[in-house]
Amino acid sequence: MTDTIPILRIEHMTKWYGDKEVLKDASLSLNKGELKVLIGPSGGGKSTFLQCINFLIKPNRGRIWLDGREILRAKGKELYDYRQKVGMIFQDFNLFDHLTALHNVQIGLVRVKGLSRTEAKERAVLELDRVGLKSYMNQYPAELSGGQKQRVSIARALAMDPEIMLLDEPTSALDPELISEVLDVIRALRSNGMTMIMSTHHIGFASELADELIFLEDGSIVETGPPEKILYRAECARTREFCSKITEMYGNSSS
Amino acid sequence: MRELFFFQPDVVSALMKGLWVSVQLIAPSAVFGVIIGFTIGALRVYGNAFIKAVANGYVLIFRGFPLVVQLFIWYFGLPYIGIYLPPFVAAVLGFSLCSGAYQSEYVRGAFLSVKTGQTMAARALGFSNIKMILFVTLPQAFRRALPGCGNEIIYLIKYSSLAYMITCIELTGQGKIIASDSFRYTETFMVIGAVYLVLTSAAAWLLRRLEDRLHIPGFEQYG
Repeated sequence: MTDTIPILRIEHMTKWYGDKEVLKDASLSLNKGELKVLIGPSGGGKSTFLQCINFLIKPNRGRIWLDGREILRAKGKELYDYRQKVGMIFQDFNLFDHLTALHNVQIGLVRVKGLSRTEAKERAVLELDRVGLKSYMNQYPAELSGGQKQRVSIARALAMDPEIMLLDEPTSALDPELISEVLDVIRALRSNGMTMIMSTHHIGFASELADELIFLEDGSIVETGPPEKILYRAECARTREFCSKITEMYGNSSS
Repeated sequence: MRELFFFQPDVVSALMKGLWVSVQLIAPSAVFGVIIGFTIGALRVYGNAFIKAVANGYVLIFRGFPLVVQLFIWYFGLPYIGIYLPPFVAAVLGFSLCSGAYQSEYVRGAFLSVKTGQTMAARALGFSNIKMILFVTLPQAFRRALPGCGNEIIYLIKYSSLAYMITCIELTGQGKIIASDSFRYTETFMVIGAVYLVLTSAAAWLLRRLEDRLHIPGFEQYG
């Protein structure tokens, strides 16, 4: 990587509810164009970690730097500006049910970025075209398949020109035959140089594209390393156990 | 002659005058009631603990006091602290505040029915709370609250008949005058009742049309 300053740096992120610690001292640094993948059992803290990164969950402790600038006040305009630069994709798509695909992509541009309707529409159509859904732009979420909904949500996030993207199990709610259409879009993002953190169970897909796998269990980062190391030469026994199980189940579904 | 009583010019004009006053009471009260209902409903869902407590207190009182008592307080009570409201204003105020309290309950339920994932998605895109409510949850809550709010408006049409208790002579008030002048209580109030039936049916039809107009695929599943 040519950049010396990481695009995103997270240090000692911790979150607890009452006396239950759901995220323990998680740190991570991401260079421009990198893809890091969070793996680990459900309930291990992957979603919490991702949602702490854009403050959908307020971490109890931890510091975040974007482009070398620390996010000091996660409030008001500074927070809204920061979130525009950090796109997020959810497991359940979370499209706005009352808006067509086009308006789902357009609304952030108009209401948050303050673009005119014509400019916003132009951009929204372009983004929908990029995920192959231009001809579906007048459909409502209820009229789209799961894979199409997820692609609209990716278009919606990309329209905001994010510097990084957080993808929280983007294919987990999809029928098996719809998964590949979403993975293809993510693959295209990767080759266009988008910086991403993704949580997934698709270990085959992850090992094909990721620069690094991060194994998260019980809220702690257990082990971090390049895919071939985590998958085949992991130092921690628990990592090895999880990886062999998950490879058996999901390993081949990347193609 | 007896059968033609309700066609006599003075009776007809008295009823029309009453009907006109009723409509003038109902229309602004319905609008204010919906506005108050959505404001209070949103505050009860998205406000902080203090705001929620204040909004809940408002609903507790205005839903808990009998409407006639509220009207008496506005019209007969306020003069004791030097505020004199004309009967019409007191009636609209009373109706709006009472209707708003009921409306807010339908609205609260409607806001709560918008899946939290959508509010997360809005915030993740950089929406402020206000913008998220205005552009993401309100348009959906409005559609879901509409049947309940319509129901409340139909109630309002009928309880507007209480305005004559504070000397705002609307349809029921005119009916009472006609009935006691002519001693034709049954016929008079049958006619008055029928006029209210026409009003409520017209309102129901309009609300139905509005629901159809605002219909979006995927919304029927939430009822």
